[in-house]
Amino acid sequence: MNRKNFITKSGVALGGGILAPYILPSGRLFAKSGSQKADHVVLVMFAGGVRQQESILGRYLEDSQGVLGAAGNIMPNLFEGDAPTNKIAYGASGPGLPDGSVPIPKLLTQSMEKSGLLFPEVKAQSAGHYVGLNTLLTGNVGYSQGLKVRPAYPTIFEYLRKHAGFKATDTWFIANGIGNSSPLLNSSNHKDYGLNYGANMFAAPVTFSSSGKEVLGNSKTYSRTDLEPMYFMKNFLDQSFALTQDQITSISNTDEERTRIKDFIKSVFEKQQAGQLAAPPIANSGDAKNIMYAAEVLREFKPKMLAVNISGVDSCHSNFTGYLQSLHRADHITGWLWQYIQNNIPEMSGNTIMIVAPECGRNENPNPILDQNDWVSYDHSDANALRVWSLMLGKGVPNMRVGAAAQPVGRLTDIAPTIADIFGILDPVTNAGLIDPLAKSLYNRI
Amino acid sequence: MRNSNKVIGLILFVFVMVSCKKEQHIGYGLENTNVYEDKSRKTKKKNDAEYISILYTNLYQTPISPNQLYKTQNVLYSIGDQDVASEMLLSNYFNTGSIQMPSNALMRQDIEAFVINTYKRFYLRYPSEGEKAFFKQYILKNSAVSVEMVYTAFATSDEYQYY
Repeated sequence: MNRKNFITKSGVALGGGILAPYILPSGRLFAKSGSQKADHVVLVMFAGGVRQQESILGRYLEDSQGVLGAAGNIMPNLFEGDAPTNKIAYGASGPGLPDGSVPIPKLLTQSMEKSGLLFPEVKAQSAGHYVGLNTLLTGNVGYSQGLKVRPAYPTIFEYLRKHAGFKATDTWFIANGIGNSSPLLNSSNHKDYGLNYGANMFAAPVTFSSSGKEVLGNSKTYSRTDLEPMYFMKNFLDQSFALTQDQITSISNTDEERTRIKDFIKSVFEKQQAGQLAAPPIANSGDAKNIMYAAEVLREFKPKMLAVNISGVDSCHSNFTGYLQSLHRADHITGWLWQYIQNNIPEMSGNTIMIVAPECGRNENPNPILDQNDWVSYDHSDANALRVWSLMLGKGVPNMRVGAAAQPVGRLTDIAPTIADIFGILDPVTNAGLIDPLAKSLYNRI
Repeated sequence: MRNSNKVIGLILFVFVMVSCKKEQHIGYGLENTNVYEDKSRKTKKKNDAEYISILYTNLYQTPISPNQLYKTQNVLYSIGDQDVASEMLLSNYFNTGSIQMPSNALMRQDIEAFVINTYKRFYLRYPSEGEKAFFKQYILKNSAVSVEMVYTAFATSDEYQYY
């Protein structure tokens, strides 16, 4: 090799060596702008409309029903504070005891508040469920967001897949049903992002229901040798038909990822059958089932980013007792999920950040609907319904309380940029110009 | 009497002339042909119910029950990757054993006819020469390729989602 050739080839090799690690599967240069703070993020969308008074403020029945001496914290895994001692109706049932009179024992040795970063007074951008869920995932205020359509602005899943190069099975959304917009939250229909960058999704209570088992549970387990020709022929047919970008209506995985997801679905049905699904001690709610399936996804795929939606507390529209019980159970299952990650998924233990936030609050004043205890119910439409909190804990998260009831700090639109910040892509996400201009990473709110 | 015979004769003559006409054959010089879909014209996506219903009828040669359709539709909608969902649904169907499809031996007896029939069955069109050549060669060279595999590839393909 002559000197000129040697210098040319060395230069190319050196340049390639520097650039190669930063070239994404999408062909774009890695736009990472900061250091990565953790390898995994789990977002618990603590949804359904959570009143500040019964959650972070620990007021139980004192404010809501005017029962004096009945304040106390019914969310011991998330927040600090003594439990109520009067009129206990939020717990489980015990033999021969009134319904709800047995509080579920606290699972975590230390509350999340005690080990994480708490923003006790955060401003929600909407008093509605679906705009709120959109806000959590997109970082956009979503005022023009329609129902039963995909988000108009990119979700955090799409930002992560586009700017951090995550593959489809690195990002998951576990929806709690197929009603309204829930199963559409895994991707926006934004022209620069969209389904090409969407997350995998299960509406777990439906996928793994008895219908799911009937429709999918008897499927064959094909060997890799069987699958190869099938995928080869399918890929030929798809290339021949050549869908355009705007015709794509589903997220897509690689052949290998698809096979893995199918094996996973079958394994969940088998575990169901054998009674081997990991479950929180009290798992008698739809929310608990959803969290259980989220735990299965975490254990199998160890995704970089998983968001799970729960919403049992929405019973508050007409049943305040049911709301209190759901709130207590939501605390229980969130604590369980955190504990499950730490104890059962070594690859994620110590390397995960969990973020917990409601999508909206609830009204200050009740509606006239009385429940079995003659307690009034609450809707969500006034200024109190814009009061929420957010909580973050895990790898490197400082233990702090930022803000107070009289001094709100943060917006719900902060959640998406915070996740972007954790994965080191805050700049490209901000520069895309599609999130709330007032949103900030929670790290920058401290 | 003589006059009445003339009248009857005249009436008979008129009836014969009016009722019997020579049949005229009109031809435009066109040949009969079967009409099949052209893939470039398939621009409308089947919705979930249409896809499931068409697939079921295609495979079982009998319509799906409304209850089964509803359940299947919900389950498919609950999975983010629709390819995963349809592949599992199909595989579930194939496990029932009552699907109406040719045997592997029949496929290999006349691969070209099988390929043409598969295109007509799933895509409602004839394969192009390139498509035909691809499948003929692929099936011929890979003895492990079964009818089930080919049907799975077609039923989960993008074109089958459109009409």
